[in-house]
Amino acid sequence: MKSRPKLYTSYLAESQLFPTRTQKVLVVVAVVILVLMPFDLPVISQIPIVRFLGDNVWLRVVNRMLIFTIAALGLNILSGLAGQVSLGHAFFMGSGAYTAVLLGGKGSANLWGWGLPIWIWLPASGIVAAFVGIAVAPAAVRVRGLYLGIATLGLIFIGLHLSRVFPEIAGPGALGRKWPRMQFRLWKEEDPLVDFSRDGDWFWFEVTKNQKTYLLLLSLTIVAALVAANIARTRTGRAFSAIRERDVAAEIMGVPEFRYKTMAFAISSFYAGIAGALLAVLAGQVPPESWGLLLSIQFIAILLIGGIGRISGALMGTFFVVLSPRFIEEVIDWMKHQVDSGGLLSGIFDALISTGDKDGGLLAISETALGYPLPASALDELVYGLLIVVFLLFEPQGLYGIWVKTRNYWKGWPFSY
Amino acid sequence: MSLTVAELPPTETGDCYTTIATRARDWAQLAPRQVAMREKDFGIWQEFTWGRTWDLIMDAANGLLALGVEPGERVSIQSEDRPEWVILDVATVAVRGITVGLYPTNPASEVEYLLTDSTAVVHFAEDQEQVDRALEIDADRLPGLKQILYTEPRGLSSYDDPRLMYWDDFLELGRSHRRNSPGEVERRMAEALPEDVMTLVYTSGTTGPPKGAMLTNANTEFCMDVLIMGDEGLRGSQIPNSDDLVVTYLPLCHVAERIFSTWHLVVAGCQLNFAESIDTVIENLREVQPTLFFAVPRIWERMHATVMIKSGDSSFFKMLWLRFGMSLARKIGREKVANGGNHTLKSWLLNLVGFPLIFRAIKEKIGLRRCRHAASGAAPIAPEVLEFFIGIGVPVYELYGMTENSAIATGNWPGKMILGTVGEPYPQIGFRIDEETGEIQTKHAGVFAGYWNKPEQTSETFTDDGWLMTGDVGEWVEGTHVRIVDRIKHIIITSGGKNISPSEIENSLKTSPYVKEAMVIGDGRKFLSALIGIELETVGDWALRKNIPYTTYRDLSEKPEVLELVQKVVNETNEKFARVETIRKFKMIPKELDHEDGELTATQKIKRSALEDMFGDLVESMYS
Repeated sequence: MKSRPKLYTSYLAESQLFPTRTQKVLVVVAVVILVLMPFDLPVISQIPIVRFLGDNVWLRVVNRMLIFTIAALGLNILSGLAGQVSLGHAFFMGSGAYTAVLLGGKGSANLWGWGLPIWIWLPASGIVAAFVGIAVAPAAVRVRGLYLGIATLGLIFIGLHLSRVFPEIAGPGALGRKWPRMQFRLWKEEDPLVDFSRDGDWFWFEVTKNQKTYLLLLSLTIVAALVAANIARTRTGRAFSAIRERDVAAEIMGVPEFRYKTMAFAISSFYAGIAGALLAVLAGQVPPESWGLLLSIQFIAILLIGGIGRISGALMGTFFVVLSPRFIEEVIDWMKHQVDSGGLLSGIFDALISTGDKDGGLLAISETALGYPLPASALDELVYGLLIVVFLLFEPQGLYGIWVKTRNYWKGWPFSY
Repeated sequence: MSLTVAELPPTETGDCYTTIATRARDWAQLAPRQVAMREKDFGIWQEFTWGRTWDLIMDAANGLLALGVEPGERVSIQSEDRPEWVILDVATVAVRGITVGLYPTNPASEVEYLLTDSTAVVHFAEDQEQVDRALEIDADRLPGLKQILYTEPRGLSSYDDPRLMYWDDFLELGRSHRRNSPGEVERRMAEALPEDVMTLVYTSGTTGPPKGAMLTNANTEFCMDVLIMGDEGLRGSQIPNSDDLVVTYLPLCHVAERIFSTWHLVVAGCQLNFAESIDTVIENLREVQPTLFFAVPRIWERMHATVMIKSGDSSFFKMLWLRFGMSLARKIGREKVANGGNHTLKSWLLNLVGFPLIFRAIKEKIGLRRCRHAASGAAPIAPEVLEFFIGIGVPVYELYGMTENSAIATGNWPGKMILGTVGEPYPQIGFRIDEETGEIQTKHAGVFAGYWNKPEQTSETFTDDGWLMTGDVGEWVEGTHVRIVDRIKHIIITSGGKNISPSEIENSLKTSPYVKEAMVIGDGRKFLSALIGIELETVGDWALRKNIPYTTYRDLSEKPEVLELVQKVVNETNEKFARVETIRKFKMIPKELDHEDGELTATQKIKRSALEDMFGDLVESMYS
């Protein structure tokens, strides 16, 4: 009811995504800021984080983050909403990516590829991945929890094996093959209608390729997030939650377990497939090994750090996980710079990082082999692992949980409960 | 859209007397889409528009006709507050029947007494629990009872008593009656007379069995004119309108809730919001944020205690903040109270600071953020509690009245209140305080028609010149306001010959969140003593934090630490009173008092005689 936000006279009002006017306004403002972020505009570029994320170099990382967001939203539906552990997310992403390259890539004597336009290969990559998900789903009905995790882990190795069996799809060597560019064509004509992969002019503005890609990915991500949020508040979403809490009990309540588990896998894989295709296209060339266990674990880390089962958790998690390696890199660079120039704390940093064979230290900058000193490139994995452990122990609700606690502190004001 | 009665079209049948039924019909004609009632069902507040409400009332009224309810016959209702209560109440009045309300907590024995005393022909029993109580009574003892209606069918499918009828079937019966013989209800409504009894309100019966006070249509109308809509009514010039929201949660069979809900609904169009149960009142208040609120002192005290206890449980920073807020509220409260309830410049400035910082949030949490007028009545309230609520900006006014005079006697008005008094007599009524006994007496059109089937007791409550004797001792304060001393029957005369009013002392004891019940004893004794019952929730909470283990209520109330705690409360109270009025000794009541066990009335007032019998040993042990 108007002016009484807690007096709900219909279920529709109760399950609104943005119930208050303030929230609606905030969402619109946030979207406007996000859209204008990459352009060097007077007011918006003054907002602290926005300022450097909008930078052209960082924008590449941000684009990667948006794609990860789509994939994380997908895994969130499967693991967060429906409660099915999956380590096979990378496999579904791979399915999408290879569908994209098969349909959209250039064919040659020993490579398959039909050169179809993006409006075919992008949806198709999602749909094919969804069918793969449906094929896998029966396993989830048979096994639960840890065992399902192991079963889905198997998918990754099946995927790697398949990439070797079909070099015509995956490409011959360890480097992989070239993916289609991010260009919009009506059919196979020479000049693309919209080219996201080159700098150029849009209307009267000069736009770099990163900015173009950013806008495309941002709109895809917003759609993906809205769809995911809406799924959570429909009958399907409630069925997923029921299965998450206890699948047997859900079945007894009249929720068909098989159907909804299959549906969860299908939806989640669709997201993964789209994200996989976009990720490969953004990278341009991807070896089959990159659809491996580490990628799956990254998504588990995203959900656990961000807060499982929540859209905003997936968003915060991706922000944290995708950007943190870049931050770590920046910090190490800065430390190295400090050592070189003999800054204030150079002594400590010198002890921390090792620049060559003779130099002692914990982190090796130039080396990549695992062992002591630890290569800086392996630091990400270490940090993920550590963060997963720390969050599971101290804040199982993730960053979202921290946010909820902060919010509840003010919501309960001036009482504690 | 805000509507007031002034816009109401004149009743079409000009010669018919206005009743709550005709008023409901007029609202349904004037504003069929306006919301009349809301009931929370499966987490959603379902809305009843005036059109739908009136339709249901007509169905129910036709149903009553189909069951053969004649003018003057009784329809009894034992149910929690719910739309059906109001619908059946208005429908009964529409067919010139008499509504009898029973407390949902009335045990089977009392139900039997009330049903046999009122000889109801139709009984509405909400659910299986209430149906069981009605069916427990030997059918021969209720020869007149034709039908028992129920609205919650759960658990009742195997019952085969021929008198049982499901509410929906009853409405269906009414609908078919309405089709077959239209206009009959309208005819009955037109026949209504001012002297028609429209309801029996049973007094709670602190002494002896309950008596059914007969209120007539004329009483009701007078009450609505003077109390609710009057310029000099209980809210002064703040007349309620159809934008006002009310939370209905006290038993509707009590005259206070009937006035504040049903009668407000039909006369002013205030929207009723039915609380899910008495336990969810706080939550429902928070959702509804009513603009008008009435509560008995027990509820006010509980809200006050909740704030106090929650503030004690807060985290460090919040606790400091709350303490600051409380002291501010006390200052503002004192300023305002001293100024008749209006802001002084100082309190206004303090409120300017306090409102955004803390009062707004507290009011939001207790659900009174939008409350523009609140009242306390039906029992004496501790001034400290009122001061607190006034301090945080909830305008609470204490008023006084009783069933027998349609609750019309005195009220505190905005801007003219005096703390500790029940206000000034309404100007339209006859009001006097007997010089000899100090008893308050009233005479006006709202005074009831007598007790049902008890002509002797009726004549006992009237003086020779026709004034109603309220049984309350009052005294004038500043010549305009009235202070209630106590019930005449409760006044204690010690062996030293001192007259002492125990209620004041008891109320002072009960301001402590730890004390739930207190009974002061001392009639014909050398000194005063008290029986004290603790509030399990708060004392339990306190014990938990002090690491005092306990098992039962009795175990907890006999802990030496708890005795010390209560002793502190007693000492604080003793400081406020004269030496002869101090409590020298006290004993703990070893059990939680209960309506079911006959220790409390349905309105949670203690039955003194029952307690004196039950705990006679305890009392004697204090004087030996």
